[in-house]
Amino acid sequence: MATFLEQLINGLTIGSFYALVALGYSMVYGVMKLINFAHGDLFALGSYLGYTLLVASSSWVTVHFGLWGGMAIAMLFAFIGIGLAGVLMERIAYRPVYPAGRLSLVVSALGMSIFLQNGIMALWGSRPQAYPAAVVPSTRFSLLGLPVTSLQVVILLLSFTLMLVIWFIVEKTTFGAAIRATALDRSTATLMGIDVRVVIFFIFALGPALGGIAGVMNGMYYRAISFNMGWTYGLKAFTATILGGIGNIPGAMIGGLLLGLMESLFAGYVSGAWKDVFVFVILIAVLLWRPTGLLGEKTAEKV
Amino acid sequence: MRKTVSVVLVCMLAAVLFLSGCAKKTSDTGPIQIALQAPITGDYAYEGQMAKQSVEVAAELINKAGGVLGRQIEITVVDDGSNPKDSAIAAQKAVSMKVVAVIGSYGSSVTEPAIDIYEKNKMVAVGYGCTALRLTVDKQRTYFFRTCGRDDAQGLFFAKYAVETMGAKRIAIMHDNSTFAKGVAEEAKKALQPYLDAKQTEIVYYDAITPGEKDFSAAVTKLRNTKPDVWYFTGYYPEGGLVIRQARDAGLTCPFIGGNAAINDDFVKIAGLDVAAGALMTQEPLVTDVTTTIAGQFRDLYQQKFSTIPSSPWPVYAADALYAIVGAIGKANSTDADAIATAMHTNMTGVEGVTGPTLFTTQGDRKDVPYKMYEVAADGRLVVHQP
Repeated sequence: MATFLEQLINGLTIGSFYALVALGYSMVYGVMKLINFAHGDLFALGSYLGYTLLVASSSWVTVHFGLWGGMAIAMLFAFIGIGLAGVLMERIAYRPVYPAGRLSLVVSALGMSIFLQNGIMALWGSRPQAYPAAVVPSTRFSLLGLPVTSLQVVILLLSFTLMLVIWFIVEKTTFGAAIRATALDRSTATLMGIDVRVVIFFIFALGPALGGIAGVMNGMYYRAISFNMGWTYGLKAFTATILGGIGNIPGAMIGGLLLGLMESLFAGYVSGAWKDVFVFVILIAVLLWRPTGLLGEKTAEKV
Repeated sequence: MRKTVSVVLVCMLAAVLFLSGCAKKTSDTGPIQIALQAPITGDYAYEGQMAKQSVEVAAELINKAGGVLGRQIEITVVDDGSNPKDSAIAAQKAVSMKVVAVIGSYGSSVTEPAIDIYEKNKMVAVGYGCTALRLTVDKQRTYFFRTCGRDDAQGLFFAKYAVETMGAKRIAIMHDNSTFAKGVAEEAKKALQPYLDAKQTEIVYYDAITPGEKDFSAAVTKLRNTKPDVWYFTGYYPEGGLVIRQARDAGLTCPFIGGNAAINDDFVKIAGLDVAAGALMTQEPLVTDVTTTIAGQFRDLYQQKFSTIPSSPWPVYAADALYAIVGAIGKANSTDADAIATAMHTNMTGVEGVTGPTLFTTQGDRKDVPYKMYEVAADGRLVVHQP
C-alpha cells in the first residue's frame, strides 16, 4: 500500500509537469488551431533562464532571498522571459505565415522548435547543465509515512494553483469569454468587438510563460537540464493534450495528470520497458472511444 | 532594400553550391584525407566533440612524425547527429568526398546504417564506440573494423566481478532499451547463467527505463522493493546521473555499477557529487591509466591544446582508429581500400595506437581489449577501483 501511494505521488509529480506544458499547448491550439511544436523548447528555454539567473549571479539571489525566494525569483524571471519569447515568436514566426494556412503554420512551428533547440545548444553548450545543490530546497520529511521533499510538495501545490488560476481566467472572466469566443470563431468574434490581437497576444504570452515556470520547477526537481529536453516533454504534453481533448483547458490538466499516473503505475507494477507502448495503446483506445479526447466537445468540423 | 539583400543571399548560396560541387579528388600527392564520422550534435554531442579533438591530436602527432608514405594526414569531420538517419547522410557525404578511410562512429545503432554504405562503396570504416555484437558477428564484412571491445566482454566482466568479487546474491540489471544498453544487459544476463544454474545468485530485477525522460521514480521504487545487493545500469550518462540520484532519494543504498557509457563528468554533475561518489563502472581503461609511450604524447598534446584530457575512453579509441588506419596504409604501402583492409586483417604486427597494439580478428573486432572496474572518487574523478 505504501508503495502504491509512493507510485501515486511519483505519477502526480511528473503528471503536473506534463499538465502545465499541456496547458500552453492547449491554449494556443484552442485559439490559433496551431500545434505549437516549439512549445516544449520554450519550456526548456525556461529551465535555462532560471538556471542562468541562479548560477550567473553566483547564487546571489539565493543568498539574499533564501532558497524559496530564489526559486520564486527564478520562476518569475522565466515567466516573464518566456512570455516575451512567446509573444516574439508569434510576431516573427506565426503572424506572417498565418494567411498561408495551417500547414505553413505547422512547418513554421517545427522550424521554430529546431531554431530554439539549436539556439540553446549554441548559447549554453551541448553538455547537460545542473542546477547546483546549493540553490535547491530539499528538506525531506515524511507525509503519512511516505518520503517526500518540500520541493515536491511545493511543485504539486503550485502546479494545481496555476491550473486553477488559468481555468478561472478562461472560464469565469469576461476576458476568458473573449478567449473562448475567439477560439470558437475568429471572424465572428472580431465582429462582436473583441480585439482578437489582444487575445492572441495574451495566449502567446501566458501559455509559454506557464511552460517557463514548469521549466524552472523541472530543473530544480531533477537538477539536470539539457538543450534537447523540450522534445520529450513537448511530445508527452502533446499526448496529454490529445488525451484530455485538445483546446480544452481542464482536459489538458486531466490528460497530463492521467498520463503521469499511467506511466508511473505501469512502470512500477508491470514493465518499464513496455511503459510507452502501454501508454500509447491507452491513448489509441481512448481516441477510438472518444475521438475528441476525454473532455473534448463534439463539434462538427467547419470547412 | 529587401530585394538587394535577397539577391546577395542568392549569389552567396550559388557560390557555396558551386564551390562544394568542386569537391577535392583523391590524388597520389598532397594530404591523405581521412573522415571522422561522429555525433558532433545531438544527444551524444559531448562524446562526439571529444572524439573530434582526440582525432585532431592524433593526426597532429602523426603529421609531426612525418605522416605516412611521405604524406600528411588531413581530417574531415562529418556529423551524424547521434541518430541513424543522419548517420546514413553523413556516410554518403564521406563517400562523395572520396576520403581514403573513415573513423566512426560512436553508438552501435547509429553506426550500423553507415557501415553498410561504406561496405557497399568499398571504404574502410573503423568504429570507435560501437560495441554491439551484431555489427561483426555473422556479418562477413570486408571493410569494417572496430578499436573498441564488444558488449559480451563487458557483460562477462560484470558477471564475474559481481558474483565472485562482491559475492552478490541478488542482482538487478537496468537498461534503457537502446541497442547498446540492452546488448550489454543481455550479455551480462547470459554471463550470469552459470551462476544462476549453480544457485549462487539470482536476478531480482531486469527492466528498462526510457532515455530522454527525467523522471524514473516509478522504476527506482520498484527496483528498491526487490532489495538488490548490486545494481548494474547499462545505459548512458544523462539517465545514469538522474536515476542514481532518484534511487538514493528513494532509499536504495546498494552499490551502483554503471556500464561504460554511464559515467563521465556529466554523470557526476547531474547526480551531484554526494551521490555520485562511490559509484562503480565497468569500462575500458581511461587514457590516464594507459602506460604506452603514445598515450603519454597524446595526453600532453591534448592537455596543451584543450587544457583537459578526454573524460571517457571512447574518444581515445577514435584516435586508435586513426593510428590503425595510418599503420595499415604504411604496411600496405598504398591508399587503396582493399590493400588497407587486407593489411588490417593480417599484417598489423607492430602497429600501436594510444591504448596499445591494434590487432584485429578476421571479423574486424579488436583483439585483447582490457576492462577495469572504476570508481568515482570523493572529489569526482574516476579512479581505478581497489576492492
